[in-house]
Amino acid sequence: MSKKILLIEDEKVLSEMYVDKLTEVGFKVISTIEAKEGLELTKKERPDLIILDLLLPQENGIVFLTWLKKESEISSIPVVIFSNFDEPETRKKAFKLGAKAYLIKTNYTPREMVEIIRDYLR
Amino acid sequence: MSDLNLIFLIIISLINLSLGTFVFLAGKKGATTSSFFKLVIVITIWSILNYLADEPSQAPNALFWNKATIAAGFIQCIAALYFILVFPEETRKKISPLWKFSFFVYGSVALISLITNLIVRDVEYFEWGTNIVGGKLYFLYFPLILFAVGAIIFLLIKKYKEFKEEKKKQIGYILIGAIIYLLTVIPLSVILPGITGSNEFAKFSPYAWVFFIFFTTLAITRYHLFGIEVILTEILVVVIGLLLIIQIFTTPSLSWKVANGVIFVLFCVFGYLLIRATLREIKIRREIEKIDKAKSEFISIASHQLKTPLTAVKGYISMILEGTYGQISEKMRKPLANVYQSNERLIKLVNDLLNLSKLEAGKIEFTPEPISLKELISGIIEELKINAEKKGLYLKIAETEKLLPEVTVDREKLRQVILNIVDNAIKYTQKGGVTIELEKINNEEKIKISDTGEGMTKEEIDSLFQMFSRATAGTQLHSAGAGLGLHVAKRFIEMHGGKIWAESPGKGKGSAFFILLPIKLEEKLLKTKIKKVIKEGADIF
Repeated sequence: MSKKILLIEDEKVLSEMYVDKLTEVGFKVISTIEAKEGLELTKKERPDLIILDLLLPQENGIVFLTWLKKESEISSIPVVIFSNFDEPETRKKAFKLGAKAYLIKTNYTPREMVEIIRDYLR
Repeated sequence: MSDLNLIFLIIISLINLSLGTFVFLAGKKGATTSSFFKLVIVITIWSILNYLADEPSQAPNALFWNKATIAAGFIQCIAALYFILVFPEETRKKISPLWKFSFFVYGSVALISLITNLIVRDVEYFEWGTNIVGGKLYFLYFPLILFAVGAIIFLLIKKYKEFKEEKKKQIGYILIGAIIYLLTVIPLSVILPGITGSNEFAKFSPYAWVFFIFFTTLAITRYHLFGIEVILTEILVVVIGLLLIIQIFTTPSLSWKVANGVIFVLFCVFGYLLIRATLREIKIRREIEKIDKAKSEFISIASHQLKTPLTAVKGYISMILEGTYGQISEKMRKPLANVYQSNERLIKLVNDLLNLSKLEAGKIEFTPEPISLKELISGIIEELKINAEKKGLYLKIAETEKLLPEVTVDREKLRQVILNIVDNAIKYTQKGGVTIELEKINNEEKIKISDTGEGMTKEEIDSLFQMFSRATAGTQLHSAGAGLGLHVAKRFIEMHGGKIWAESPGKGKGSAFFILLPIKLEEKLLKTKIKKVIKEGADIF
């Protein structure tokens, strides 16, 4: 069974790019640009891992994490933050809310991203 | 003494009334302004009654005036409490039954003290005025006053905690006024009578209300709400001015009166100039703050906007090179790799510029905490392992037997510094690898990052930590040089009171970077609150 990844990313170009890579290496990918829809998809699709951007239209990624944490059936799904927003306070908050990793997009190619998330899928 | 009292009464009552009227006329009509106005009126009446109670010519009626003063004092408690309950809302708020009941108690006691002998039984006459002889219910007086004062301070602190931003500042101002009021009244009516055994000075205590009224006026009108210096300057000027006026009235000879008058006029002129200068300075400072904020917002937004397309370029080119979109010809590979490298350079430049501009603006947050260097470095190795492995290099931390103590550092900054150095080391090394060693030397811990890479000449080392410089060997092999990164790193390490330097035995012999950090951060550095950070974009979370 291929693993299912939920990508929450509002930049269309980046979203397409990551979907391309994730699909290429054999993941099943669902994507959305919004935190709210992200939560609904998480409940419905039960992905194995969530890749989360922080700056999103309407509710941001941190809000998504707080929502996720409250839902006991899905709160254990690993979340990897993948954002260009790099700020120590936010980083702290994200980890406190259970994010597995906080990665800066410009530092990783999609392939490197895949390698990292594979670690969390084991 | 009586003259002085009269002068105070007139001047302070005029100030109070004009402030009250000013607020009433200039402020928004509503519960706050009207209750404030009522409070001012009650305070003024109380001050006048208090004056009359001690006035020698009024001696025959002294008992009545004393009773009236006490009664007005209780009414004043109601007025002040009501005002604090309402503030800062302009709509009439529902007052809870408990407060209503306490108002009723204070009102009743006021009436009792006015028409019976239960609170004030008699007066004693002194050279400086009169003293109360307490009646059967006199024991109620101090507890009731104390309760009112306590309740006011309690409510103010509670509201101060509840409210945010401007309203918080408004309440803060009232709190300052209340504290100055208490600091003036307590010596006058508690400490001095305790020491001298007479109430001689207590009669001046009503005038202390002027501080409360003044600060409350500022709070309600939001005048200079953000510039306490102006207000303090203004208070100083007014107080000295008042003392000078009193001096004019109290000196016996005409020539002294004239001299004092001249001094007063001169003082007014200079006082005005002083206030104006302070105001101007604050205005300029605020402008600068605004520009600073705009600048850092601009940088944050700009770098953000820049990073999205940079990420896309990096991602797509890397995927094209990896063959995700089909096989590419060998001929295509080189130009694409060049695009990729140029983009990498641009990413690094954006990051460095962002850091540097934060540093330049003094807006880098410095949050030291005790951490284990080994743990931090293990995290970094984890992060950069992929890069090293790609080139077939080792990246390791040298094992030490001794357990090293925690070091007080800003985790994120040190992480960036080490990450930068290790990243560079990997870049400039073609064979072998990178080793990180930790060592405790006296009160410091040393981090040594050595590689088996290209090495550097002395000249290259010398210019390494300057803004915009690059080891020439690096230029030949890679597009992304040290650039601004090491300069920023040096500034970060200096923030900790540490040192950073590089050594190399020469070309082709590898290089080593050293970071020396004090285990305990110097007290001075801890306290240097590097300008309050306007966190770029952090507000959105």
